[in-house]
Amino acid sequence: MTDTTSPMTLSHAEAATPIAPGRTPWKHEAIGFVLGFALLALLPLIFGDTYARHILIMAFIYAIVASNWDLSLGYGGVFNFGHLALFGIGVYAYSLLTKLAAFDPWVALFASGVIATLAAILVTIPILRLKGIYIILVTFGFAQLVMQVIISQSAITGGTQGLVRIPGLYVFDHNMVRDGKSAYFYIALALLVASTLFLRVFVRSRAGASIVALRDNEEYAISRGVSIVRQRMLTLAASAFFTGIAGAFYAAYQRNASIDVFGMSLATIILSMVLLGGTSTIYGAIIASFVLTIFAEWMADFGAWRPMITAVLIIGVMLAYPSGLVGMIKASWGALAGRLKRPA
Amino acid sequence: MSALAEILFGGLFQGSLYAMMAVGLALVWTTIGVFNFSHGVFMMLGAYIAWQLVELGLPAAVAFPVAVVVMAGVGWILQASVVRPLIGRPNIVLVVVITTLAAGSLIENGALTIWGPRSKQIPALIAGNTTIGGVGVSLHQIAIIVITPLILAALWMFLNRTRLGLALRAVAQNEDASHLVGLNVTALYGLAFAIAASLAGLAGIFMGGYRFMSPVMGSDPLLKALIVVVFGGISSISGPIFAAYLIGFFEAACSYYFGLYWTPALLFGVLILTLMVRPEGIFASRSRGLA
Repeated sequence: MTDTTSPMTLSHAEAATPIAPGRTPWKHEAIGFVLGFALLALLPLIFGDTYARHILIMAFIYAIVASNWDLSLGYGGVFNFGHLALFGIGVYAYSLLTKLAAFDPWVALFASGVIATLAAILVTIPILRLKGIYIILVTFGFAQLVMQVIISQSAITGGTQGLVRIPGLYVFDHNMVRDGKSAYFYIALALLVASTLFLRVFVRSRAGASIVALRDNEEYAISRGVSIVRQRMLTLAASAFFTGIAGAFYAAYQRNASIDVFGMSLATIILSMVLLGGTSTIYGAIIASFVLTIFAEWMADFGAWRPMITAVLIIGVMLAYPSGLVGMIKASWGALAGRLKRPA
Repeated sequence: MSALAEILFGGLFQGSLYAMMAVGLALVWTTIGVFNFSHGVFMMLGAYIAWQLVELGLPAAVAFPVAVVVMAGVGWILQASVVRPLIGRPNIVLVVVITTLAAGSLIENGALTIWGPRSKQIPALIAGNTTIGGVGVSLHQIAIIVITPLILAALWMFLNRTRLGLALRAVAQNEDASHLVGLNVTALYGLAFAIAASLAGLAGIFMGGYRFMSPVMGSDPLLKALIVVVFGGISSISGPIFAAYLIGFFEAACSYYFGLYWTPALLFGVLILTLMVRPEGIFASRSRGLA
């Protein structure tokens, strides 16, 4: 999948202009996109057992969360450390809407995306004037605030105990439990396709170019008429919708909700997916989500050593390839292409 | 009377611990311009090393200083391995967040493997209890309240009155100029991390003396130290110290009047409001520099 899509270059100068020569033509990208996701859609034919499909579904959810984070963190340059709170809001919005308000699961799924978007707009207000590390701290504080409110309102949210028996999704009369998870697999894949399509169209649009311009040269972008207030809100809101939906899907799939989604460990995993993949690519985060999720499963036998090996690998990749896995793939692809060309 | 004494005592005690943690974070931020997310893990490691030394039969008076010195070495090594190679990269702030988080996870899981998940406790600085103003307190906590300001004052003296401390502040203010006057900037970066790590280790020893230790004991203090640093302003040493005590009192008062559950929510609410009004922190001057 990786070599067919060839994500756009990381160079800021090139990324800032929508029609720079170094960019992949949209037709090439569309072909890679369709081929890549068609391959993913064929995976249940190879992996028949429920557990392998479960791993893939989790990888899809992580991929949605990580790639949306790449929009605000990578393209927007907004160090939003409350991204996982938006995911958590999706989880709890879905759980409470279906359990307490008896919403239809699909309506609740969509509503969770909207609620996460509203929350993102709300959190943008205090960070409009802030830069860099201060944004990290406020958004981090926001995430903690949401978690603390959920813990303290235990009568509704279940507090630290969490919620169980959350209604799952349905597809007509299809039996969601006895189909080897194939329905959930294709719903998760469809969500990932929709989210990725949305993100790629967004970053290739004029709005996408303007948020990159704000990141790379704020004064110049503002002087050329880009509104930092509007674009920052747009960035955060755009990154929140599918994140919230992913949270809702996660709750529907797991059938329970717990405050673990606000914890540092999940945030660290997802953040390493974004950075390991290479920021400002969208595809990088998705690839890294697959790599890390499958890698974590593959190392299940190592027990306590697993998080340590993962940590060492993350540090190693970050030190050797600052532009992440995508940079690594590009470097090796470039070397390979150079070697193939030479004899001719 | 007893309510006031309880809030005053709780505030002083929590404030001391927060100050020890926050000063290290601020020191690293001002000199290197990065946020060290393994700072909480330093605290945990300091406590475990002290516990191990006491377990080996060393008296506490020897074990604690040795643990603090070992932590300085750990800080130096961490800086050299996951921070220094990244200096000069355009996205250093973000990449250091992930490398220090990963290093923290490595150390945390390492501690879990070596020492196991069972809770441990290290001997108190001074054993015994007493009653002040109708509130029962342990002598260990009083020792912390007394020792912390002395250590912070010593740090202030070091940064303002010694050549090495002044060099550290010079790097914080202007790295290029420091290079030009012949300061060893790389070594000073290491020194900032070493001091931060030993302060965190000491905070861990303090904490391990009155509460059970676990490999994840550092994550909550790290969070609190982050709040303190934001609240007090990131660009100085004195700002976070004042803020640490202020937040200590705020927490003590909140948990007395509103209960333990609402305290963190109120704290974060105040934090976000502070940043909206004064993004540079309440005690900060507008320039970046130490002390």
